[in-house]
Formats: sequence, C-alpha cells, structure tokens
Amino acid sequence: MIFDVNCYLGTWPFSLVPEMSADQLAKQLARAGVDAAAVSPLAAVFQPEPMPANRALFAALRGKRRFVPLPVVNPALANWKEQLEECAAAPGVRAVRLYPNYHDYRLTRRTLRPFVDALEHHRLRLVITARIEDERHRYFALRIKGVPVADLAAFLKANPGTVPLVTGLSVNEAPQLAAVCENFLADISYQENVELAAMLRGKLSTSRLMFGSLAPLVSVAAQTGKLSAPDFSAAERRRIAFTNAARFFSIPHADRR
Amino acid sequence: MRIIDAHTHPVMFKRGLTRPEVDRLVKHGRKLGVETMIGLGDVLLYGRSFTAEQIVEVNDDSAKVQAMYPDYFRFFCFLNPRLGEKAVMREVERCVDKYGFIGIKLEICNNARDACMKPVMEAARRWKLVVLQHSWSQINIRQRSFHTDPADTATLARRHPDVPIIMAHLTGCGVRGVIEVKDLDNVTVDTSGGLADEGLLEYAVENLGVGRIIHGSDLPGRSIGVSIQRVLGARLSAAEKERILFSNAARLLKLG
Repeated sequence: MIFDVNCYLGTWPFSLVPEMSADQLAKQLARAGVDAAAVSPLAAVFQPEPMPANRALFAALRGKRRFVPLPVVNPALANWKEQLEECAAAPGVRAVRLYPNYHDYRLTRRTLRPFVDALEHHRLRLVITARIEDERHRYFALRIKGVPVADLAAFLKANPGTVPLVTGLSVNEAPQLAAVCENFLADISYQENVELAAMLRGKLSTSRLMFGSLAPLVSVAAQTGKLSAPDFSAAERRRIAFTNAARFFSIPHADRR
Repeated sequence: MRIIDAHTHPVMFKRGLTRPEVDRLVKHGRKLGVETMIGLGDVLLYGRSFTAEQIVEVNDDSAKVQAMYPDYFRFFCFLNPRLGEKAVMREVERCVDKYGFIGIKLEICNNARDACMKPVMEAARRWKLVVLQHSWSQINIRQRSFHTDPADTATLARRHPDVPIIMAHLTGCGVRGVIEVKDLDNVTVDTSGGLADEGLLEYAVENLGVGRIIHGSDLPGRSIGVSIQRVLGARLSAAEKERILFSNAARLLKLG
C-alpha cells in the first residue's frame, strides 16, 4: 500500500499538465500503484488568500475516501486564526500546509509561535513546503527559491514540541537539516539516488521518511520507482510507502492493510 | 521488456570503481531488466577544466569498469574540447582502439556552440561515433559560457548534420529544448534529468517522433527504477515504450 503525502489538485500556470478532477487524480495515482493521498490546492499558491482554494478542495474531496484534504494556511495574513478554525472544522482535515516561500514570509516570523500553539489547540499536524518546483526549471520571471535550511532549523529549534513534515527538501538539504534538528519528517519527492537508502543511512532514518510524488505535476509512476531502490529492506519500504504517513495523518488502523 | 540505460556514470567522484561496487550496480540493473549500461565517465571529477592527463585518468577508470563486465557496459570517451585538436584526436583514437568505446561524451568544459567543438565533431565523423552532449536549460542557471543550453546543442547539430548527437536530459531541456531540436533529425534526446515532469515524455514523442528518444537514468545521482517507471507509466503504447527503453538505443549505438 502506498500513501502519497505530496499531492495536489488544480493547475500550475507554467505547466502543460491539464487540471484534473479528484476522480481523474485518483485514477492517475491508482495506475501507478498509489492507493491514497493527502491533497493540497495549487490555487492557494497564487491567490491572495488561501480559503477559496481550500473550500474548493473540501468540496472536490467530499466523499472521496482515498484522499485526506491538506488545506493551506497563510499565517502572514491577519485572518490566519479564522483560516485555521475553518480548516480544522472541515471534515477529514488532520494537518495544514504552509507555503512560506510562495507566500513571502519567513519561518522565523514571530507570529508563528501563536500559530503553532493554535495548531496544538486544534490537534492539527503541520506540513511545510520547502519547494514545489525545481528552481532550475521554473518560469523565468518567478524568482522564488526553496525555504532556506537555516530558517527551517530556526523554526524547529524554536518549536521543539512540533514535528512537522517538510516536503520538497533537496538531496543536500534533507541531511543538512537532519544534522541540526531531529524534530521533522521529510518526503522523498526530491530525494533520489541509485542507492537511496545508502545515501540516507546515518543521516535520515526511514522512520522519518514518507512517499511524496508532487502529482499531478510529476509522473507518479516515476516517483514510485524510488521504492525499488536495491538497498531498502521490505520493512523500510513499508514505512516510507505507508506506515509513517498513516501515523502522521492518523489514518484509521483498519485501513492500514 | 529489454532495457538499455543510455546515460549512466558507474564511477562518480571515484566511487564505483571497486569490484563489489560494480557487482552491486550490475546486479541492481539486471534485477530491473537493464541488459546494457552506457557509461559516460566520471565527468565532474575535476570540475570543468580537465587536463589531458585527467581526461586519460577518467577514461582509464571507465575502461576498468568495462573490463569487469565487458558484456554489460559500453563506454563513451570523455573529452575536454578546450584541449585542442591534437589532444582530442589522440584521446579518441586511444579510447576507440584500446577500449572499443562507442561514443563521445561532452559535459561542461565548454559550450557546444564554441569553435573548439569542430575537431570533436571531426573525430566523431572519422571514427563513426555518437556524440552525447550534456544539455540543460540555462534560463535560470545562467552559466552559458561553459554550460550548454538546448539551443546550443541545436546549433551544434545544425553545423554537423551528418553526426548523430544525443541531447542529454529531457527534463533539464524541457518543452523549449524539444522545440529547439524538433527539425534536426540527427538529434536524439535521452530521458534523464531532474524530476520526471508529467506529460513531458509524451510531448517529446509527439513532437520528435518516438524514434528519437532513448532511455537514460543518469545514475548514480538518479535512480534506474525511476527512469524505467517514467517510461512504463507514460501514456504511450507498448511498442513505443519498447522503442524508448531498448530498440532506439540499440539501433543508434549499434548494439547487438
């Protein structure tokens, strides 16, 4: 069983990938052997506030048991408490996602302390997007870089009781961050090597890794190929593919086949 | 399905030279169905300014790996075109005669549009070799003085229409790269590069024709499992997938 923690609905304006419905996305994932996913709205990257995109996401995923809605909150906006409350009240929401670099705030921002407290109050987990797009391939006028490792480290040190999932860390960034902080999990969307496990061994335990594809922008089938790395044990593969994500997103035990 | 991986670096920064490392790589490749790996050398070992001696060292390391599994690996001769005609010709002749290398690999010693490429292409012509040119969109990287953009690879191909060229890194070249080489029949594109953008392979097939695309992983920084699944998971027919994964490279590189 594979759970994808880094999945989206909507369009990326600089990509030829057409917009998909939730059912089309489910089919695309299933074709690649992915059973379920946490899904965030791409529109929230570009719109001035994330709630219209979140509401569209909640509507699109209503009744779709394969999907966990992963709405976006922008804590740099004055209404972040309202955003969070509405997200927390929506069915199936177990975590919220931040887009710090796309929403132009730093993780060292003071208001993030009460934001983290509010997450705990609502019993929500946190997903931080280090990057969506590879900076080398981005649209020429979109000068947005990944979230700096130093900012992630500062946030994690300032909030030692929080263990967020960080998606989109590069091959170099994940071990750099792991060297200074233990309280984070990471997806493998940008982690790749012919010997992936050997590359990560001693730097980032498989108990902290989850499968993430960046679907529909990236080929899900290609991303699942990472799980065939020769040096993962069956238990490690299971942890990355499903168990760690199931724990993070509180997926009921009965569904954990 | 039979598979050729046409873009690999079995040795990278001197790792991968020992017998156990090579055994492990071959075992992994065979498990995933790869029956031939095209090795391109330790092309970043000395940055982007290799001396003649360093070029010889890289090609000798490639030959050591090839000697361990002569039926599995075929190598390209790595060159620094900036070393000039004499050094280029001497190294190509040495690698073809002594090791049976089947192509020329060019990385980031220079840009493919530079005048120093002329003897390289002459060597390819003389020894009937395929030229694999590292190519990556320079719109955001901005290193074009030594790093080749797909537009530069297209310029090279236009100047030498009788030399078969592999434009490396479909993902790095992107949609614009496909458009740049669309009308250049001597250019084949390999599927390696960064993350496998959804739909890009299908776009390349539609615009270049399936016969001009070959499978490559760019290991060790990239995964063979990913590169194979990228092809197998694409919206293409079984026959088209077979051509990309095997037949096109077998024909281009004259592999039995």
